[in-house]
Amino acid sequence: MMEQPHSCCKGAEVLLNLQPTSSVSIQYHPFFGPRDDLVLLELDEKLLSDVLYQRVTLRGQPDEDAVLCTKSKTYSVKFVGTSNSVFLIPPADYSTMHESGGENYKQQVPTASVIKVAPGNMELVEVAPRLDKLKSILSENLYSSDEASTAMGDLYKWDDLINKVQASDDELKAGLQALSAVEIDGYWRIVDEKYMDVILRMLLHNSVLNDWSLDSLVEDKVVSVLESDGFPCKLVYHCLNVYGSRVEEAMDGGVWRLDARRVCVHFARGILREGKRKMESFMEEWLRMIPEEMQPSFDMLEGEVLTEKLGVETWVRALSVSSLPTTPAERFSILFKERAKWEWKDLEPYIRDLNVPGLSSEALLLKYTRRSQPSIDAEPVFSAR
Amino acid sequence: MQIQVKCSCGAEKCPEWAIIELQGVVEVQPSFQHSLQNLQIGLLCRPSFQENYTFTVGYHELTGSKVALKKPMVVLKKIKYMDVEQQIDEATSSSSCVELDVVGVIRHKILFKTRPTALISGPQPTVKEKINAAVVKSPLMKVLAQLVREEV
Repeated sequence: MMEQPHSCCKGAEVLLNLQPTSSVSIQYHPFFGPRDDLVLLELDEKLLSDVLYQRVTLRGQPDEDAVLCTKSKTYSVKFVGTSNSVFLIPPADYSTMHESGGENYKQQVPTASVIKVAPGNMELVEVAPRLDKLKSILSENLYSSDEASTAMGDLYKWDDLINKVQASDDELKAGLQALSAVEIDGYWRIVDEKYMDVILRMLLHNSVLNDWSLDSLVEDKVVSVLESDGFPCKLVYHCLNVYGSRVEEAMDGGVWRLDARRVCVHFARGILREGKRKMESFMEEWLRMIPEEMQPSFDMLEGEVLTEKLGVETWVRALSVSSLPTTPAERFSILFKERAKWEWKDLEPYIRDLNVPGLSSEALLLKYTRRSQPSIDAEPVFSAR
Repeated sequence: MQIQVKCSCGAEKCPEWAIIELQGVVEVQPSFQHSLQNLQIGLLCRPSFQENYTFTVGYHELTGSKVALKKPMVVLKKIKYMDVEQQIDEATSSSSCVELDVVGVIRHKILFKTRPTALISGPQPTVKEKINAAVVKSPLMKVLAQLVREEV
Protein backbone atom coordinates (compact mmCIF):
# COMPACT_ATOMS: atom_id res chain seq x y z
CA MET A 1 0.00 0.00 0.00
CA MET A 2 2.77 2.39 0.88
CA GLU A 3 5.08 1.92 -2.06
CA GLN A 4 6.56 4.94 -3.66
CA PRO A 5 4.77 5.93 -6.80
CA HIS A 6 7.89 5.31 -8.94
CA SER A 7 7.61 6.71 -12.36
CA CYS A 8 3.92 6.03 -12.70
CA CYS A 9 2.26 9.32 -12.43
CA LYS A 10 -0.47 8.78 -14.97
CA GLY A 11 -3.49 6.64 -15.59
CA ALA A 12 -5.31 4.06 -13.53
CA GLU A 13 -2.10 3.10 -11.72
CA VAL A 14 -1.74 6.45 -10.03
CA LEU A 15 -5.39 6.50 -9.08
CA LEU A 16 -5.32 3.03 -7.56
CA ASN A 17 -2.06 3.69 -5.70
CA LEU A 18 -2.68 7.25 -4.66
CA GLN A 19 -0.58 8.04 -1.60
CA PRO A 20 -2.06 9.77 1.45
CA THR A 21 -2.05 13.55 1.26
CA SER A 22 -1.54 13.58 -2.46
CA SER A 23 -3.84 14.30 -5.34
CA VAL A 24 -4.37 13.49 -8.97
CA SER A 25 -5.89 15.56 -11.72
CA ILE A 26 -8.76 13.82 -13.49
CA GLN A 27 -9.13 14.81 -17.12
CA TYR A 28 -10.62 13.68 -20.39
CA HIS A 29 -8.48 11.24 -22.34
CA PRO A 30 -7.17 12.22 -25.76
CA PHE A 31 -9.37 9.40 -27.10
CA PHE A 32 -12.40 10.24 -24.98
CA GLY A 33 -15.76 9.69 -26.65
CA PRO A 34 -18.83 7.48 -26.61
CA ARG A 35 -16.44 4.57 -27.28
CA ASP A 36 -19.04 1.94 -28.14
CA ASP A 37 -16.10 -0.36 -28.77
CA LEU A 38 -15.41 -0.58 -25.04
CA VAL A 39 -17.75 -2.75 -23.00
CA LEU A 40 -17.68 -3.63 -19.31
CA LEU A 41 -18.46 -7.21 -18.37
CA GLU A 42 -19.02 -8.18 -14.77
CA LEU A 43 -18.28 -11.79 -13.93
CA ASP A 44 -17.67 -14.20 -11.09
CA GLU A 45 -14.12 -14.44 -9.86
CA LYS A 46 -14.08 -18.12 -10.88
CA LEU A 47 -14.83 -17.19 -14.50
CA LEU A 48 -12.10 -14.57 -14.68
CA SER A 49 -9.31 -16.97 -15.52
CA ASP A 50 -11.43 -18.63 -18.22
CA VAL A 51 -11.88 -15.22 -19.80
CA LEU A 52 -8.26 -14.14 -19.45
CA TYR A 53 -6.93 -17.43 -20.80
CA GLN A 54 -9.17 -17.19 -23.86
CA ARG A 55 -11.41 -20.10 -22.99
CA VAL A 56 -14.73 -18.37 -23.60
CA THR A 57 -16.70 -17.43 -26.70
CA LEU A 58 -19.88 -15.55 -27.45
CA ARG A 59 -22.36 -17.53 -29.51
CA GLY A 60 -25.58 -16.71 -31.30
CA GLN A 61 -27.12 -15.50 -34.50
CA PRO A 62 -27.57 -11.76 -35.03
CA ASP A 63 -31.28 -12.10 -34.17
CA GLU A 64 -30.64 -14.00 -30.95
CA ASP A 65 -29.57 -12.73 -27.55
CA ALA A 66 -25.90 -13.51 -27.20
CA VAL A 67 -24.73 -16.16 -24.78
CA LEU A 68 -21.26 -16.59 -23.37
CA CYS A 69 -19.94 -20.13 -23.32
CA THR A 70 -17.13 -21.64 -21.30
CA LYS A 71 -16.08 -25.19 -22.06
CA SER A 72 -18.92 -26.61 -20.00
CA LYS A 73 -21.46 -23.88 -19.26
CA THR A 74 -23.70 -21.35 -20.98
CA TYR A 75 -24.46 -17.87 -19.66
CA SER A 76 -26.91 -15.33 -20.99
CA VAL A 77 -25.48 -11.82 -21.31
CA LYS A 78 -27.61 -8.98 -19.97
CA PHE A 79 -27.03 -5.25 -20.00
CA VAL A 80 -27.56 -3.47 -16.71
CA GLY A 81 -27.78 0.29 -17.00
CA THR A 82 -26.87 2.86 -14.39
CA SER A 83 -27.85 6.49 -13.93
CA ASN A 84 -24.60 7.21 -12.11
CA SER A 85 -21.65 8.57 -14.02
CA VAL A 86 -19.10 5.78 -14.32
CA PHE A 87 -15.78 7.24 -15.45
CA LEU A 88 -13.63 4.57 -17.01
CA ILE A 89 -9.91 5.13 -16.60
CA PRO A 90 -7.34 3.07 -18.52
CA PRO A 91 -3.72 2.59 -17.48
CA ALA A 92 -1.23 5.20 -18.64
CA ASP A 93 0.05 3.23 -21.61
CA TYR A 94 -3.39 2.55 -23.04
CA SER A 95 -3.42 3.13 -26.78
CA THR A 96 0.25 4.03 -26.27
CA MET A 97 -0.01 6.92 -28.67
CA HIS A 98 1.39 9.79 -26.68
CA GLU A 99 0.69 12.16 -29.44
CA SER A 100 -1.35 14.60 -27.47
CA GLY A 101 0.28 17.94 -26.94
CA GLY A 102 1.47 18.91 -23.52
CA GLU A 103 3.20 15.62 -22.90
CA ASN A 104 6.56 17.23 -22.93
CA TYR A 105 6.39 19.45 -19.96
CA LYS A 106 6.89 17.97 -16.55
CA GLN A 107 3.55 17.93 -14.81
CA GLN A 108 3.42 18.97 -11.21
CA VAL A 109 0.33 16.93 -10.47
CA PRO A 110 -0.12 13.39 -11.70
CA THR A 111 -3.05 12.85 -14.03
CA ALA A 112 -5.53 10.12 -14.81
CA SER A 113 -7.63 10.27 -17.96
CA VAL A 114 -11.22 9.24 -18.47
CA ILE A 115 -11.74 7.47 -21.78
CA LYS A 116 -15.47 6.82 -21.52
CA VAL A 117 -18.49 7.37 -19.35
CA ALA A 118 -19.95 3.88 -19.14
CA PRO A 119 -23.74 3.75 -19.31
CA GLY A 120 -23.73 0.41 -17.49
CA ASN A 121 -22.20 -3.02 -17.77
CA MET A 122 -22.95 -6.50 -19.03
CA GLU A 123 -23.78 -9.24 -16.55
CA LEU A 124 -23.79 -13.01 -16.86
CA VAL A 125 -26.58 -15.35 -15.76
CA GLU A 126 -26.06 -19.08 -16.05
CA VAL A 127 -28.70 -20.63 -18.30
CA ALA A 128 -29.54 -24.01 -19.74
CA PRO A 129 -28.10 -24.58 -23.22
CA ARG A 130 -30.49 -23.82 -26.07
CA LEU A 131 -30.50 -27.24 -27.63
CA ASP A 132 -33.96 -27.36 -29.17
CA LYS A 133 -32.53 -25.70 -32.22
CA LEU A 134 -29.94 -28.47 -32.54
CA LYS A 135 -32.71 -31.02 -32.82
CA SER A 136 -34.69 -28.98 -35.29
CA ILE A 137 -31.82 -28.25 -37.68
CA LEU A 138 -30.55 -31.83 -37.62
CA SER A 139 -34.06 -33.21 -38.11
CA GLU A 140 -34.51 -31.30 -41.36
CA ASN A 141 -32.28 -33.74 -43.15
CA LEU A 142 -32.25 -37.22 -41.67
CA TYR A 143 -29.76 -39.81 -42.79
CA SER A 144 -31.74 -42.61 -44.41
CA SER A 145 -31.16 -45.84 -46.30
CA ASP A 146 -31.37 -44.16 -49.69
CA GLU A 147 -28.95 -41.46 -48.59
CA ALA A 148 -27.07 -41.42 -51.86
CA SER A 149 -30.17 -40.69 -53.90
CA THR A 150 -31.71 -38.02 -51.72
CA ALA A 151 -31.11 -34.40 -52.59
CA MET A 152 -28.59 -32.88 -50.23
CA GLY A 153 -30.09 -30.28 -47.95
CA ASP A 154 -28.26 -28.34 -45.29
CA LEU A 155 -25.64 -30.38 -43.51
CA TYR A 156 -23.72 -29.31 -40.46
CA LYS A 157 -20.17 -29.82 -39.37
CA TRP A 158 -19.11 -29.30 -35.75
CA ASP A 159 -17.97 -25.75 -36.54
CA ASP A 160 -21.33 -24.99 -38.15
CA LEU A 161 -23.11 -26.26 -35.06
CA ILE A 162 -21.15 -24.11 -32.62
CA ASN A 163 -21.93 -21.13 -34.82
CA LYS A 164 -25.64 -21.91 -34.83
CA VAL A 165 -26.44 -23.46 -31.47
CA GLN A 166 -26.17 -21.54 -28.21
CA ALA A 167 -24.49 -24.12 -26.03
CA SER A 168 -21.03 -24.80 -24.64
CA ASP A 169 -18.87 -27.44 -26.29
CA ASP A 170 -19.59 -30.00 -23.55
CA GLU A 171 -23.31 -29.29 -23.62
CA LEU A 172 -23.37 -29.55 -27.40
CA LYS A 173 -21.60 -32.91 -27.27
CA ALA A 174 -24.09 -34.15 -24.67
CA GLY A 175 -26.94 -32.83 -26.82
CA LEU A 176 -25.66 -34.68 -29.88
CA GLN A 177 -25.39 -37.85 -27.85
CA ALA A 178 -28.91 -37.44 -26.45
CA LEU A 179 -30.20 -37.12 -30.01
CA SER A 180 -28.21 -40.22 -31.04
CA ALA A 181 -26.54 -38.10 -33.68
CA VAL A 182 -23.50 -39.46 -35.48
CA GLU A 183 -20.70 -37.81 -37.43
CA ILE A 184 -20.72 -39.18 -40.98
CA ASP A 185 -18.20 -37.82 -43.47
CA GLY A 186 -17.60 -34.85 -41.19
CA TYR A 187 -21.29 -33.96 -40.89
CA TRP A 188 -23.43 -34.48 -37.78
CA ARG A 189 -26.57 -36.41 -38.69
CA ILE A 190 -29.56 -37.99 -37.05
CA VAL A 191 -30.26 -41.35 -38.62
CA ASP A 192 -33.85 -41.98 -39.66
CA GLU A 193 -35.52 -44.26 -37.10
CA LYS A 194 -36.80 -46.54 -39.83
CA TYR A 195 -33.28 -47.08 -41.07
CA MET A 196 -32.07 -47.71 -37.51
CA ASP A 197 -34.88 -50.23 -37.20
CA VAL A 198 -33.68 -52.08 -40.30
CA ILE A 199 -30.10 -52.23 -39.01
CA LEU A 200 -31.12 -53.33 -35.52
CA ARG A 201 -33.40 -56.06 -36.86
CA MET A 202 -30.63 -57.29 -39.14
CA LEU A 203 -28.24 -57.33 -36.19
CA LEU A 204 -30.70 -59.36 -34.10
CA HIS A 205 -31.44 -61.64 -37.02
CA ASN A 206 -27.75 -62.31 -37.51
CA SER A 207 -27.27 -62.96 -33.80
CA VAL A 208 -29.83 -65.78 -34.05
CA LEU A 209 -28.31 -67.17 -37.26
CA ASN A 210 -24.77 -67.08 -35.94
CA ASP A 211 -25.62 -67.91 -32.35
CA TRP A 212 -24.16 -64.67 -30.97
CA SER A 213 -24.93 -63.66 -27.39
CA LEU A 214 -26.43 -60.18 -27.16
CA ASP A 215 -24.36 -59.68 -24.00
CA SER A 216 -21.09 -60.25 -25.78
CA LEU A 217 -21.18 -59.27 -29.41
CA VAL A 218 -17.75 -59.41 -30.97
CA GLU A 219 -17.30 -56.15 -32.80
CA ASP A 220 -15.29 -57.50 -35.73
CA LYS A 221 -17.77 -60.25 -36.50
CA VAL A 222 -20.81 -57.99 -36.20
CA VAL A 223 -19.28 -55.33 -38.39
CA SER A 224 -18.08 -57.68 -41.11
CA VAL A 225 -21.38 -59.61 -41.28
CA LEU A 226 -23.50 -56.47 -41.41
CA GLU A 227 -21.18 -54.83 -43.94
CA SER A 228 -21.62 -57.86 -46.16
CA ASP A 229 -25.37 -57.32 -45.78
CA GLY A 230 -24.84 -53.89 -47.30
CA PHE A 231 -24.74 -51.56 -44.30
CA PRO A 232 -22.02 -48.90 -44.05
CA CYS A 233 -19.48 -49.65 -41.36
CA LYS A 234 -20.12 -46.28 -39.68
CA LEU A 235 -23.81 -47.08 -39.33
CA VAL A 236 -23.13 -50.48 -37.83
CA TYR A 237 -20.98 -48.86 -35.15
CA HIS A 238 -23.67 -46.27 -34.65
CA CYS A 239 -26.27 -49.01 -34.13
CA LEU A 240 -24.04 -50.65 -31.52
CA ASN A 241 -23.59 -47.29 -29.80
CA VAL A 242 -27.26 -46.42 -29.77
CA TYR A 243 -28.58 -49.78 -28.58
CA GLY A 244 -25.63 -51.03 -26.63
CA SER A 245 -22.32 -50.22 -25.05
CA ARG A 246 -18.81 -51.48 -25.32
CA VAL A 247 -18.06 -53.74 -22.38
CA GLU A 248 -14.58 -54.83 -23.22
CA GLU A 249 -11.65 -53.39 -25.06
CA ALA A 250 -9.59 -55.96 -26.85
CA MET A 251 -6.63 -55.80 -29.18
CA ASP A 252 -8.70 -57.08 -32.07
CA GLY A 253 -11.69 -54.76 -31.48
CA GLY A 254 -14.13 -54.61 -28.63
CA VAL A 255 -17.00 -56.61 -27.25
CA TRP A 256 -20.45 -55.06 -27.01
CA ARG A 257 -23.54 -55.69 -24.93
CA LEU A 258 -26.96 -54.65 -26.15
CA ASP A 259 -28.97 -52.65 -23.62
CA ALA A 260 -32.32 -54.35 -23.00
CA ARG A 261 -34.09 -51.13 -22.14
CA ARG A 262 -32.98 -49.29 -25.26
CA VAL A 263 -33.89 -52.20 -27.52
CA CYS A 264 -37.29 -52.67 -25.86
CA VAL A 265 -38.05 -48.94 -26.05
CA HIS A 266 -37.13 -48.96 -29.72
CA PHE A 267 -39.67 -51.65 -30.53
CA ALA A 268 -42.38 -50.05 -28.40
CA ARG A 269 -41.92 -46.78 -30.26
CA GLY A 270 -42.13 -48.62 -33.56
CA ILE A 271 -45.48 -50.17 -32.64
CA LEU A 272 -46.97 -46.92 -31.32
CA ARG A 273 -45.76 -44.80 -34.24
CA GLU A 274 -49.00 -45.69 -36.00
CA GLY A 275 -51.15 -44.46 -33.11
CA LYS A 276 -52.47 -45.59 -29.77
CA ARG A 277 -53.17 -49.25 -29.02
CA LYS A 278 -55.12 -51.26 -26.53
CA MET A 279 -52.83 -52.47 -23.78
CA GLU A 280 -53.35 -56.18 -24.52
CA SER A 281 -52.65 -55.94 -28.21
CA PHE A 282 -49.67 -53.66 -27.61
CA MET A 283 -48.15 -56.03 -25.07
CA GLU A 284 -48.71 -59.03 -27.28
CA GLU A 285 -46.96 -57.49 -30.26
CA TRP A 286 -44.22 -55.89 -28.19
CA LEU A 287 -43.27 -59.11 -26.37
CA ARG A 288 -43.23 -60.96 -29.69
CA MET A 289 -40.70 -58.53 -31.19
CA ILE A 290 -38.23 -58.51 -28.34
CA PRO A 291 -35.30 -60.93 -28.58
CA GLU A 292 -35.62 -63.97 -26.35
CA GLU A 293 -32.53 -63.14 -24.35
CA MET A 294 -34.10 -59.94 -23.06
CA GLN A 295 -36.54 -59.56 -20.21
CA PRO A 296 -38.94 -56.75 -21.04
CA SER A 297 -40.97 -54.99 -18.40
CA PHE A 298 -43.49 -52.21 -18.83
CA ASP A 299 -41.46 -50.03 -16.42
CA MET A 300 -38.81 -49.72 -19.12
CA LEU A 301 -41.21 -47.51 -21.04
CA GLU A 302 -41.26 -44.79 -18.39
CA GLY A 303 -40.95 -41.44 -20.14
CA GLU A 304 -41.78 -43.07 -23.48
CA VAL A 305 -45.44 -44.09 -23.30
CA LEU A 306 -48.58 -42.94 -21.54
CA THR A 307 -51.39 -45.21 -20.44
CA GLU A 308 -54.95 -44.06 -20.07
CA LYS A 309 -58.20 -45.70 -19.09
CA LEU A 310 -61.11 -45.26 -21.45
CA GLY A 311 -64.07 -47.09 -19.99
CA VAL A 312 -62.92 -50.58 -19.11
CA GLU A 313 -60.08 -50.53 -21.64
CA THR A 314 -56.55 -49.41 -20.97
CA TRP A 315 -54.84 -47.74 -23.92
CA VAL A 316 -51.17 -47.05 -24.53
CA ARG A 317 -49.78 -44.25 -26.64
CA ALA A 318 -46.36 -42.86 -27.38
CA LEU A 319 -45.08 -39.72 -25.72
CA SER A 320 -41.33 -39.65 -25.67
CA VAL A 321 -39.61 -37.24 -23.33
CA SER A 322 -36.89 -36.79 -25.94
CA SER A 323 -39.45 -35.33 -28.35
CA LEU A 324 -40.43 -32.55 -25.92
CA PRO A 325 -38.96 -29.03 -25.74
CA THR A 326 -36.20 -28.47 -23.21
CA THR A 327 -37.40 -25.12 -21.90
CA PRO A 328 -39.67 -25.56 -18.87
CA ALA A 329 -42.47 -23.22 -20.00
CA GLU A 330 -42.86 -24.97 -23.36
CA ARG A 331 -42.43 -28.40 -21.80
CA PHE A 332 -45.21 -27.90 -19.23
CA SER A 333 -47.47 -26.29 -21.80
CA ILE A 334 -47.25 -29.35 -24.04
CA LEU A 335 -47.60 -31.77 -21.14
CA PHE A 336 -50.81 -30.11 -19.97
CA LYS A 337 -52.17 -30.16 -23.51
CA GLU A 338 -51.53 -33.89 -23.59
CA ARG A 339 -53.24 -34.41 -20.30
CA ALA A 340 -54.90 -31.87 -18.03
CA LYS A 341 -54.09 -33.65 -14.77
CA TRP A 342 -51.01 -35.59 -13.90
CA GLU A 343 -50.14 -37.81 -11.01
CA TRP A 344 -46.58 -37.43 -9.77
CA LYS A 345 -45.43 -40.90 -10.86
CA ASP A 346 -46.55 -40.18 -14.43
CA LEU A 347 -45.27 -36.62 -14.53
CA GLU A 348 -41.85 -37.19 -13.01
CA PRO A 349 -40.29 -39.06 -15.98
CA TYR A 350 -41.28 -36.16 -18.23
CA ILE A 351 -39.69 -33.40 -16.19
CA ARG A 352 -36.70 -34.93 -14.43
CA ASP A 353 -34.34 -33.98 -17.26
CA LEU A 354 -35.31 -30.30 -17.12
CA ASN A 355 -32.26 -28.35 -16.18
CA VAL A 356 -32.65 -24.78 -15.08
CA PRO A 357 -29.63 -23.38 -13.24
CA GLY A 358 -30.70 -22.10 -9.86
CA LEU A 359 -34.16 -23.69 -9.92
CA SER A 360 -34.82 -26.98 -8.12
CA SER A 361 -37.48 -29.37 -9.41
CA GLU A 362 -39.71 -28.30 -6.50
CA ALA A 363 -39.36 -24.69 -7.58
CA LEU A 364 -40.20 -25.67 -11.16
CA LEU A 365 -43.37 -27.42 -10.01
CA LEU A 366 -44.37 -24.40 -7.95
CA LYS A 367 -43.78 -22.11 -10.89
CA TYR A 368 -45.52 -24.07 -13.63
CA THR A 369 -48.11 -26.29 -11.95
CA ARG A 370 -50.99 -26.20 -9.52
CA ARG A 371 -50.94 -28.99 -6.98
CA SER A 372 -54.19 -30.30 -5.61
CA GLN A 373 -55.05 -33.15 -3.34
CA PRO A 374 -58.66 -34.35 -3.48
CA SER A 375 -58.41 -35.87 -0.01
CA ILE A 376 -55.73 -36.17 2.62
CA ASP A 377 -54.74 -39.72 1.75
CA ALA A 378 -55.09 -39.27 -2.04
CA GLU A 379 -52.14 -38.84 -4.40
CA PRO A 380 -51.49 -35.17 -5.25
CA VAL A 381 -52.51 -34.15 -8.75
CA PHE A 382 -50.73 -31.54 -10.87
CA SER A 383 -52.56 -29.30 -13.32
CA ALA A 384 -51.74 -26.17 -15.31
CA ARG A 385 -51.47 -22.87 -13.47
CA MET B 1 -21.80 -16.97 -35.37
CA GLN B 2 -19.13 -17.26 -32.79
CA ILE B 3 -17.05 -14.47 -31.33
CA GLN B 4 -13.80 -15.44 -29.74
CA VAL B 5 -12.90 -13.60 -26.56
CA LYS B 6 -9.16 -12.96 -26.58
CA CYS B 7 -6.70 -11.32 -24.27
CA SER B 8 -3.89 -9.99 -26.38
CA CYS B 9 -2.05 -8.43 -23.43
CA GLY B 10 -1.52 -11.90 -21.97
CA ALA B 11 -3.61 -13.16 -19.08
CA GLU B 12 -1.18 -12.42 -16.25
CA LYS B 13 -0.26 -9.05 -17.62
CA CYS B 14 -3.78 -7.81 -18.25
CA PRO B 15 -3.62 -4.35 -16.66
CA GLU B 16 -5.93 -3.03 -14.01
CA TRP B 17 -8.24 -0.20 -15.01
CA ALA B 18 -10.01 2.09 -12.58
CA ILE B 19 -13.48 3.57 -12.18
CA ILE B 20 -14.58 6.80 -10.59
CA GLU B 21 -18.31 6.64 -9.99
CA LEU B 22 -20.49 9.52 -8.94
CA GLN B 23 -24.15 10.39 -8.92
CA GLY B 24 -25.66 12.55 -11.58
CA VAL B 25 -23.86 13.99 -14.54
CA VAL B 26 -20.81 16.14 -15.05
CA GLU B 27 -21.78 18.83 -17.48
CA VAL B 28 -19.21 20.55 -19.60
CA GLN B 29 -19.58 24.21 -20.25
CA PRO B 30 -20.90 24.73 -23.76
CA SER B 31 -17.78 26.49 -24.99
CA PHE B 32 -15.73 23.35 -24.28
CA GLN B 33 -18.21 20.81 -25.69
CA HIS B 34 -16.13 20.20 -28.76
CA SER B 35 -12.66 20.15 -27.29
CA LEU B 36 -12.82 17.70 -24.43
CA GLN B 37 -9.47 16.07 -25.09
CA ASN B 38 -7.11 16.60 -22.16
CA LEU B 39 -9.62 18.90 -20.53
CA GLN B 40 -9.55 18.71 -16.75
CA ILE B 41 -12.65 17.44 -14.99
CA GLY B 42 -11.49 17.94 -11.43
CA LEU B 43 -8.97 17.12 -8.79
CA LEU B 44 -9.05 13.93 -6.77
CA CYS B 45 -7.36 14.03 -3.35
CA ARG B 46 -6.62 11.48 -0.70
CA PRO B 47 -6.44 13.66 2.38
CA SER B 48 -5.40 11.00 4.91
CA PHE B 49 -4.17 7.47 5.37
CA GLN B 50 -7.70 6.17 5.13
CA GLU B 51 -9.16 5.15 1.80
CA ASN B 52 -11.27 8.30 1.74
CA TYR B 53 -11.17 10.65 -1.19
CA THR B 54 -12.44 14.04 -2.21
CA PHE B 55 -13.21 14.99 -5.76
CA THR B 56 -13.38 18.67 -6.54
CA VAL B 57 -15.21 19.55 -9.71
CA GLY B 58 -15.60 23.23 -10.37
CA TYR B 59 -17.25 24.75 -7.33
CA HIS B 60 -18.38 21.42 -5.98
CA GLU B 61 -16.72 18.91 -3.73
CA LEU B 62 -17.65 15.26 -3.41
CA THR B 63 -16.50 12.91 -0.68
CA GLY B 64 -16.24 9.20 -1.21
CA SER B 65 -14.12 6.14 -0.70
CA LYS B 66 -12.30 3.41 -2.54
CA VAL B 67 -14.30 0.18 -2.60
CA ALA B 68 -13.51 -3.28 -3.91
CA LEU B 69 -16.03 -4.48 -6.48
CA LYS B 70 -18.15 -7.41 -5.30
CA LYS B 71 -17.35 -9.11 -8.59
CA PRO B 72 -14.51 -8.16 -10.91
CA MET B 73 -15.21 -6.61 -14.28
CA VAL B 74 -13.29 -6.95 -17.50
CA VAL B 75 -13.00 -4.27 -20.15
CA LEU B 76 -13.75 -5.73 -23.56
CA LYS B 77 -12.72 -3.99 -26.74
CA LYS B 78 -14.58 -4.83 -29.93
CA ILE B 79 -12.29 -5.29 -32.87
CA LYS B 80 -13.81 -5.48 -36.31
CA TYR B 81 -11.92 -6.82 -39.24
CA MET B 82 -12.95 -7.83 -42.71
CA ASP B 83 -12.82 -11.51 -43.45
CA VAL B 84 -10.46 -12.14 -46.32
CA GLU B 85 -12.35 -15.25 -47.40
CA GLN B 86 -15.59 -13.38 -47.30
CA GLN B 87 -16.28 -13.48 -51.00
CA ILE B 88 -15.93 -17.23 -51.03
CA ASP B 89 -18.04 -17.83 -48.00
CA GLU B 90 -21.43 -16.69 -49.18
CA ALA B 91 -23.19 -17.47 -45.93
CA THR B 92 -21.47 -14.69 -44.04
CA SER B 93 -20.87 -12.34 -46.91
CA SER B 94 -22.72 -9.42 -45.36
CA SER B 95 -20.98 -9.35 -42.01
CA SER B 96 -17.50 -8.46 -41.04
CA CYS B 97 -15.91 -10.47 -38.27
CA VAL B 98 -15.75 -9.25 -34.73
CA GLU B 99 -13.37 -10.19 -31.99
CA LEU B 100 -13.46 -9.17 -28.38
CA ASP B 101 -10.18 -8.38 -26.72
CA VAL B 102 -9.91 -8.21 -22.94
CA VAL B 103 -7.89 -5.03 -22.45
CA GLY B 104 -8.30 -4.58 -18.72
CA VAL B 105 -9.57 -5.88 -15.40
CA ILE B 106 -11.35 -3.72 -12.85
CA ARG B 107 -11.35 -4.65 -9.19
CA HIS B 108 -11.78 -1.30 -7.45
CA LYS B 109 -13.71 1.86 -7.88
CA ILE B 110 -13.63 5.18 -6.15
CA LEU B 111 -17.24 5.77 -5.30
CA PHE B 112 -18.81 9.12 -4.47
CA LYS B 113 -22.29 8.33 -3.31
CA THR B 114 -23.23 11.56 -1.65
CA ARG B 115 -24.47 14.84 -3.02
CA PRO B 116 -21.76 17.38 -3.69
CA THR B 117 -21.23 20.24 -1.28
CA ALA B 118 -20.80 23.67 -2.76
CA LEU B 119 -17.49 25.42 -2.24
CA ILE B 120 -18.79 28.93 -1.96
CA SER B 121 -17.56 31.80 0.13
CA GLY B 122 -16.29 35.29 -0.45
CA PRO B 123 -12.91 35.01 -2.09
CA GLN B 124 -12.36 32.08 -4.40
CA PRO B 125 -11.44 28.99 -2.42
CA THR B 126 -7.92 27.71 -2.60
CA VAL B 127 -9.07 24.50 -4.25
CA LYS B 128 -10.10 26.39 -7.29
CA GLU B 129 -6.74 28.05 -7.50
CA LYS B 130 -5.01 24.75 -7.30
CA ILE B 131 -6.98 23.56 -10.28
CA ASN B 132 -5.95 26.63 -12.17
CA ALA B 133 -2.36 26.14 -11.27
CA ALA B 134 -2.33 22.53 -12.31
CA VAL B 135 -3.86 22.77 -15.68
CA VAL B 136 -3.72 25.30 -18.41
CA LYS B 137 -7.21 24.76 -19.69
CA SER B 138 -9.40 25.01 -16.64
CA PRO B 139 -13.03 25.15 -17.53
CA LEU B 140 -15.77 25.59 -15.04
CA MET B 141 -17.74 22.46 -14.58
CA LYS B 142 -20.69 21.78 -12.52
CA VAL B 143 -22.02 18.62 -11.08
CA LEU B 144 -25.70 18.28 -11.49
CA ALA B 145 -26.71 16.15 -8.62
CA GLN B 146 -30.20 15.71 -9.93
CA LEU B 147 -30.97 12.74 -7.85
CA VAL B 148 -29.97 11.31 -4.58
CA ARG B 149 -30.22 7.59 -4.99
CA GLU B 150 -30.04 5.24 -2.06
CA GLU B 151 -28.10 2.76 -4.07
CA VAL B 152 -24.46 2.22 -3.21
